[in-house]
Amino acid sequence: MENLQLVLPEIFLSLSIMFLLILGVFKKNSSRLVQSLSLAVLIVTAVITFNETIGINETKLFNNSIIIDYLSSLMKIITLLAAFLVLTISSNYLKTFQIFKIEYPILILSSVLGMMVMINSNDLIVFYMGLELQSLALYVLATFNRDEIKSSEAGLKYFVLSALSSGLLLYGCSLIYGFSGSTNFNVIADQLNSNEYVLTFGIVFILVGLAFKISAVPFHMWAPDVYEGSPTSVTLFFTMVPKIAALTVFIRFLYVPFLNLIDQWQMILIFLSIASMLFGAIAAIGQTNLKRLVAYSSIGHVGYALAGVAAGTNDGIQSSVIYITIYILMNLGLFSCLLMLKRDNNYYEKIDDLSGLSKNHPMLALSLLIILFSLAGIPPLAGFFAKFYVFKAVIEQSMYFLAIVGLLSTVVAAFYYLRLIKIMYFDEQKEKYDTDHGFWLKFSLTASTLLILIYFIFPSQLIEVVSRINII
Amino acid sequence: MIAHAIFFYVFSVIAVVSAIMVTVSKNTVHSVFFLILDFISISCLFIMIGAEFLGMIMLIVYVGAVAVLFLFVVMMLNVAQQKNQWFVSKDSSRHIPIGLLISVIIFFELIIVIGGWKYKPDLFNSTKSSLENGVSNTHSLGQVLYTDYIHVFQISGMILLIAMIGAIVLTFRQREGVKKQSYLKQISRERTEGVEVLEVASNKGVKIDD
Repeated sequence: MENLQLVLPEIFLSLSIMFLLILGVFKKNSSRLVQSLSLAVLIVTAVITFNETIGINETKLFNNSIIIDYLSSLMKIITLLAAFLVLTISSNYLKTFQIFKIEYPILILSSVLGMMVMINSNDLIVFYMGLELQSLALYVLATFNRDEIKSSEAGLKYFVLSALSSGLLLYGCSLIYGFSGSTNFNVIADQLNSNEYVLTFGIVFILVGLAFKISAVPFHMWAPDVYEGSPTSVTLFFTMVPKIAALTVFIRFLYVPFLNLIDQWQMILIFLSIASMLFGAIAAIGQTNLKRLVAYSSIGHVGYALAGVAAGTNDGIQSSVIYITIYILMNLGLFSCLLMLKRDNNYYEKIDDLSGLSKNHPMLALSLLIILFSLAGIPPLAGFFAKFYVFKAVIEQSMYFLAIVGLLSTVVAAFYYLRLIKIMYFDEQKEKYDTDHGFWLKFSLTASTLLILIYFIFPSQLIEVVSRINII
Repeated sequence: MIAHAIFFYVFSVIAVVSAIMVTVSKNTVHSVFFLILDFISISCLFIMIGAEFLGMIMLIVYVGAVAVLFLFVVMMLNVAQQKNQWFVSKDSSRHIPIGLLISVIIFFELIIVIGGWKYKPDLFNSTKSSLENGVSNTHSLGQVLYTDYIHVFQISGMILLIAMIGAIVLTFRQREGVKKQSYLKQISRERTEGVEVLEVASNKGVKIDD
């Protein structure tokens, strides 16, 4: 195999997982060491991905079952960096709950491996294997604080519902295999002419499975409970990292084998998008728990990202990749703030706990203000541009209804973001929170806030990176 | 040829009889043992028609894992009580119509499947399959598994590893205060550590710390 260096990132990551596991088992009290090594592994994998694969033309390996192109390399790098940031800021939280074990970074690494396989996949079997590898690690992560009843509940709920959606997804795969005779995306694309209406059933089932994984309405029921019950650092991982891989699969799956059936899947995608945007905006209003609120807001944001995919053009895909990148940045900032709400080894996650934050912690409140404004999509912050690109791509395809609903739900969503700001700045102040946070927590909050703030000065950088994505 | 036929009939009879015994035997543990016997004879039948890989997998997976798991479940749960409730007590007759209905449905499905095969003989043509002569099942499976599908094969290995890690993370508990025997400590004890000679003052006694 002459192109083996193209899968070097995956090979390196899997070998590191096994090495770290053995190291952690044989060396006592090595949680901190394994944690630092995992961070190094993530960075090295990102560098290898960047060096080996970012510049090359589209290449297919292993009997055409995996594809290495610009989209997959870019998404892999984003995934790796996001996982790196999550891992850096989670260690203090884990220590507080005494669940700082060697398995935590190892499970995160293996779920990242699963996502990389998903991103690479050009075949239904490979895609499914990646999905299972990723979700198996996520089930365990959700239950990681196993002495806490809510965490166990979250893991169990996620496991049962996710198994159900995997079943639907596999049913769709088998239908597609039955009618096209292959699991390979390109072969399916060639076989499309004769049986196209039957294939639609397969597409619908697979879309249901995928929509479940990125918690798009109406397959979102698990998200608020799981996000609330899991340890906060795992919630952060859930809201950021798996969405990147799932979005890539959405793009690859719809645009490679089923581009000719766009009339049939476009309606489904528009529905998913509109429902997620509206539901995410309206259901978040009544929440009192910040993690639940984040869950509903992430449902809404997934809706916007899907709107870009629904447009059916390269611009649309690029806009949704930009959207998900900026969304990750904003979420990172938001969760850094959440992880800073700590007093006497207790983490506070109610909305009321924010009240009067500006008097005690003006800088923290200011950062949170910027992040919330950006999430609400107020110019000139990064969140506004993310929404702007998506709506531009959508309107270019004359899908005005989708754009109008998107804008309206932005207005509704602005209400609950602004309510948080009002509570922070105008409500009665409470006791002070701890201020002795780790370096990485401060770093990620500062960096994400600054990037959100100054994005409008150089928007062309990100656009340039993304504009090389060329699927159609 | 005659030996082949004799083996076939022996294994088939054992399979059918033990299948019947699974359902009629009163003791649930016996049922599971008959189930194991059934699996073994069926895997022998598979091996006889040349599907040696399927036969061995059947032996490993069904006999080695699934049936033993059943055995554990049956032995740990109180199945006898449940069984009494379902099959011996008065309202057991409620289950009979549903059972009959399901049996009839399965019977007709079998007729459709076998009938379709009978009247459309080219539905499955064994000469079409790409098995070369002289190459065993296991060999030809290995040829695709470790070449075309090596990627997927490796990923499934990772999935099993993660499943194992997950099970350990969620169930392993480090017990505090467990007293373990340490041979090294026992052997390397010396007289000076173990015995202390004290000068006992009269009417005062000594305080021995425990």
